[in-house]
Amino acid sequence: MNAPAGLDLASIPERIQSEVQRAIQRSIKGVEYIASSGPSLGSTPKDILAVRGTMSLYHYRPMAEEIYRVPILIVMATTNRGYILDMVPGQSFIEFLLKRGYDVYMLDWSAPKPEEKSLRMEDYVLDFIPDCVRRVQQDSGEQDITVIGYCFGGVLSLLYGSIFNDGPMKNLICFTTPIDFREMKLFQNFSDKRYFDVDKLVDSVGNVPGDMIMTSFDMLRPASRAFSQVQLWDNIWNDEYVKGYRMMDRWGSDTLPLAGEYFRQTVKELMWDNKLFNGTMSVGGRTADISKIKVPILHAVAEHDHIVPYDAAKHLIAKVGSTDKEEVMLKGGHVSLVAGPNAVRRLWPKLDSWLGGRSI
Amino acid sequence: MADKSNDPVAMWQNMIGEMEKGLNSFANQAMASPEFSKVMNQVGGVTAGAQKQLGELMEKYLVSMNLPSRAQMVGMAERLQSIEGQLNEIKALLHQVHNNSSAPDGGSGVPKPPRTKRPPSAEGEQK
Repeated sequence: MNAPAGLDLASIPERIQSEVQRAIQRSIKGVEYIASSGPSLGSTPKDILAVRGTMSLYHYRPMAEEIYRVPILIVMATTNRGYILDMVPGQSFIEFLLKRGYDVYMLDWSAPKPEEKSLRMEDYVLDFIPDCVRRVQQDSGEQDITVIGYCFGGVLSLLYGSIFNDGPMKNLICFTTPIDFREMKLFQNFSDKRYFDVDKLVDSVGNVPGDMIMTSFDMLRPASRAFSQVQLWDNIWNDEYVKGYRMMDRWGSDTLPLAGEYFRQTVKELMWDNKLFNGTMSVGGRTADISKIKVPILHAVAEHDHIVPYDAAKHLIAKVGSTDKEEVMLKGGHVSLVAGPNAVRRLWPKLDSWLGGRSI
Repeated sequence: MADKSNDPVAMWQNMIGEMEKGLNSFANQAMASPEFSKVMNQVGGVTAGAQKQLGELMEKYLVSMNLPSRAQMVGMAERLQSIEGQLNEIKALLHQVHNNSSAPDGGSGVPKPPRTKRPPSAEGEQK
């Protein structure tokens, strides 16, 4: 009897043995998975410089003997925790930057408390970010600062940079930052102004619960959470896969609530009126036109980003006023662009090569 | 080496991947309709309203049971956070005083590294 084309009969016993071993490992590791806690995340040594309500400013302890002159301030997305950029040693963007000789600060967010429901975009752009910038200047003794914004942290950084366009921001790096909100098609449909009464929602719940935000993200790929469980079981024998899964799953489930007024503004001014793209955005009466940004800018976007599709992000580079500007599209999704094995190989070295010369 | 097209494990993994993509794509198409938005927001509106009413009812119930309400617990948490915040401020001030009065350090007792690093390609040249 002939074997089907491409089937190597000699390898079958070996393959069966391997699958039996994996099945045994699945049972053992499955029990281990349930009984153990996940890896410890965000453990790169750091000092808290300031905590004020929802705002926290950290300074990571330098790891190089000599560091670049210009410090980095990372502005996290308001919906997510900053430890996505500091997973575990070897897979930590922060650790990578520190080892490459950067001085790193992070503006991270905690869940806004009920009485912080009145926080507005003004509080984030005209108070929290400038306050952190001042503290970074004071702590580092340097006037110039590189700002890195991830996702909506990128939007806040753009607003900050367009209002405070005469300094002290020296460089701006945005990761997967949307500016054309019409192109976030599903979010547009979820928040269709004919059916979505944002005023009623905010007035009834105060701060928009993290579960609600997480559900809206999950709805973009509704089957993925269930299928990820199947894939986890399939790969549970593989310690590296399980570690990666646990890190991402914990982070993905740790979505922050949003301050009510800030959410209301985001929906009305960005989702409905697309003011950032149209150049009509203002924060606290101050025009926030991104064409006023003149500093060197790098925008990293992901080829398979389902949260911020490329069409929503692609106009950023064209619209800023900088002459030194670059967009880089890398393989991966919204999260794998910045964290995980793909980021280690792709984004991080690219960022280092772009930023090093601009940090002296 | 066995061809992947004949490997049952690879076929299973491929099938799972394709099913996931197919279901996501199908759901995305359905969710892009205005009808979906209408139904979703109607249900969401009712849920939010019910949640608010239930919260108010629970608050009254807890008061009658002489138990701390969520608002009171939140109030306590806020006071703790405020104390933590003030401690952090004091810590930052202490670091600052320490920095001003002794050799420059990173706030952790170790000396701050000099800000003289240059990128590998720019070593020895002025940018």
